[in-house]
Amino acid sequence: MKKSSLIGWQFILLPSALIMLFSFYPMIQSFILSFESGKGNVSEFVGLGNYTRLLSDPIFRQALFNTILYLIIQVPIMLFLGLIIAHLLNAPKLKFKGFYRTAIFLPCVTSLVSYSILFKSIFAVDGIFNKLLLNMHIINEPIAWLMDPVWARVVIILAITWRWTGYNMIFYLSAMQNIDPSIYEAASIDGASKLRQFFSITIPMVKPIILFTAIISTNGTLQLFDEVVNITNGGPGNSTMTISQYIYNLSFVYTPNFGYAATVSYAIVIIVAILAFLQMKVGGDKK
Amino acid sequence: MKKALSTLLVTTVMASALAACGSNNTNTANDASSNEAAEGKQKVVAWAWDPSFNGKALNIAAELYEQEHPGFELEVVDMAKTDLEQRLNTNLAAGVSEGLPDIILVNDPNIQKYVNSYPGTFAEFTNSNVDFSQFSQYKVDALTVDEKIYGIPFDIGVTGLFYRSDILAEAGYSAEDLENITWDEYIEIGKVVKEKTGKYMSTINPNDEAWTSILLQSGGSWYITPDNKGNFVNNPVMTETLRLYKAISDSGIAKPVTGWSEFVGSFNAGDVATVVSGVWQIASIMDAADQKGQWAVAPTPRLNIEGGVNASNEGGSSWFVLDGSANKELAMDFLGSTIGGSSEFYERFLTEAGGVGSYIPAFSSEAYQQTSEFFGNQAIYADFTEWSTQVPGISLGMYTQEAKDALKNELPNILNGADLEKSLANIQKLFEQQVQ
Repeated sequence: MKKSSLIGWQFILLPSALIMLFSFYPMIQSFILSFESGKGNVSEFVGLGNYTRLLSDPIFRQALFNTILYLIIQVPIMLFLGLIIAHLLNAPKLKFKGFYRTAIFLPCVTSLVSYSILFKSIFAVDGIFNKLLLNMHIINEPIAWLMDPVWARVVIILAITWRWTGYNMIFYLSAMQNIDPSIYEAASIDGASKLRQFFSITIPMVKPIILFTAIISTNGTLQLFDEVVNITNGGPGNSTMTISQYIYNLSFVYTPNFGYAATVSYAIVIIVAILAFLQMKVGGDKK
Repeated sequence: MKKALSTLLVTTVMASALAACGSNNTNTANDASSNEAAEGKQKVVAWAWDPSFNGKALNIAAELYEQEHPGFELEVVDMAKTDLEQRLNTNLAAGVSEGLPDIILVNDPNIQKYVNSYPGTFAEFTNSNVDFSQFSQYKVDALTVDEKIYGIPFDIGVTGLFYRSDILAEAGYSAEDLENITWDEYIEIGKVVKEKTGKYMSTINPNDEAWTSILLQSGGSWYITPDNKGNFVNNPVMTETLRLYKAISDSGIAKPVTGWSEFVGSFNAGDVATVVSGVWQIASIMDAADQKGQWAVAPTPRLNIEGGVNASNEGGSSWFVLDGSANKELAMDFLGSTIGGSSEFYERFLTEAGGVGSYIPAFSSEAYQQTSEFFGNQAIYADFTEWSTQVPGISLGMYTQEAKDALKNELPNILNGADLEKSLANIQKLFEQQVQ
């Protein structure tokens, strides 16, 4: 008995050491860094100075507002869309299922930068989308999508949704395929409509997966960077800037202030932790 | 069959992964051994973006240097400008000097930022044998921090008003009408051009601050003062610049674009009649071979206030040597004798890469006096170098990027008609918040 638990510990020892070294140690170091401020290598300890600066920083507030806006609008739409598509693809008699699944999942394997640049050129002032709208006589003058604060955000949300819906759909599809079809038969016999079945059978049984994808998507959207930088670069006038982009700017674009950048990144950590906790409370199993 | 196929796939993937790992190892091993060998062999490593311009320049310099110093070897590592800045910042912040090169290309607005953030990183050229009086003063000013000169000036971005002589002629304007004009006159001409030919006069990109930079420097001002304070309030040049920005946007003579490729595409496709940009834009303008002979260059329009001149600058970079590099003296000597003082280098740089340097003795050479067929047989380089002597020298300070971003934040409000004084006060406040 003792020998087998010793072997067990030995197995765990190496990965734990690696996690400590590469995950925990940097976390602690960056937490210490968040109490320093300065330029480049010339920095000094400022205690809670960075945190007080954070609370009154208008650019951080704008970035926070944008990021939370993306979160509130994009994640529910994407998850719901993923659920519906998964449900449609779960239909037993659907032809070409393999093709649809591959086609919807394909965006997830594209490079973030490539598809962002493509979206940028599609929504350019003389891009395909404007040409399409002009030809269909829906508009008279091309719309400058990426130069309007509201439409630029819409384009970003569109891009993210296009890319990640397939990813979540696959999770839901595999969860739905674990549901016994006899439950649906029983429900049909009892007279439940398809819609009722969807909301009362499918969704509750897929709930743990929905919770999982919600947390993962929240985490991902809060750290949004690639799309924003490549499509609008935070513009017009910081209206699409996200917190991650602000951290990047603080480190590489402006006179580098790594301490303050670490502080902003801890702001993300705190937000993610709070949201994850809330989501688990709301959607988790009551133990 | 299935099992054989999957085994084959797995083996292929693993083999390619291992091969990749393997080749990485041999590469680093080669680098390490070549570095040791380099000490004896006189090798210098440089980082630069744009291999057909900056990289080419270094290679020309290396060829010239090798003539006097056989056995000299240069390695130019090409990477995108933002990648280079990231790597430099990361390496310097981490205090790791192994991955760093001997020579590095630095964009002028970043100079003060690097020198002040990473003290002791860059070699000083103040007491070297480079004669800095032979270079355009405003370039040397950008390299000087606390009376020490940190690098060698490289290309200049002296600006000009590139225009389509055929479109302007159709609207009734000749070359004389565009000589030494003010921006208000430019706008008036633009309106007539739009009316008579249907073409836009220029492009406008609210996310890009190139245009405001050009105007500020032409008035001898910048986003920040020499002692790094925001220069938005009580600054007549700034007020006038933004007034003109709004005027151009309102006049309808500027085509909105959202990015670099749209910007270049606009003049290549013939949608716009003029481009106000640095001399390095020549390469992109000449990409439209079908527009040969239809372009010409006039002096940059000026601000209609005291101190406004018909000359400005956009961009430009300099070569720095890292103080901690093993081959520091060699790198400094290499740069100093070629880019730092060889007229032959600058002539070759112009003819082979289309690059205009800031080395004054080269300006009178034959290469710089040549006429260009594409630009209607105008001696464009002679004109540009003439204007480069008039560009006001300014201090780019440390916080240029923060100031530009603060301006960009408020720009949409200004374009929508907000009170200019209030907007400027907002920008100033935002900037001061950022710089702590």
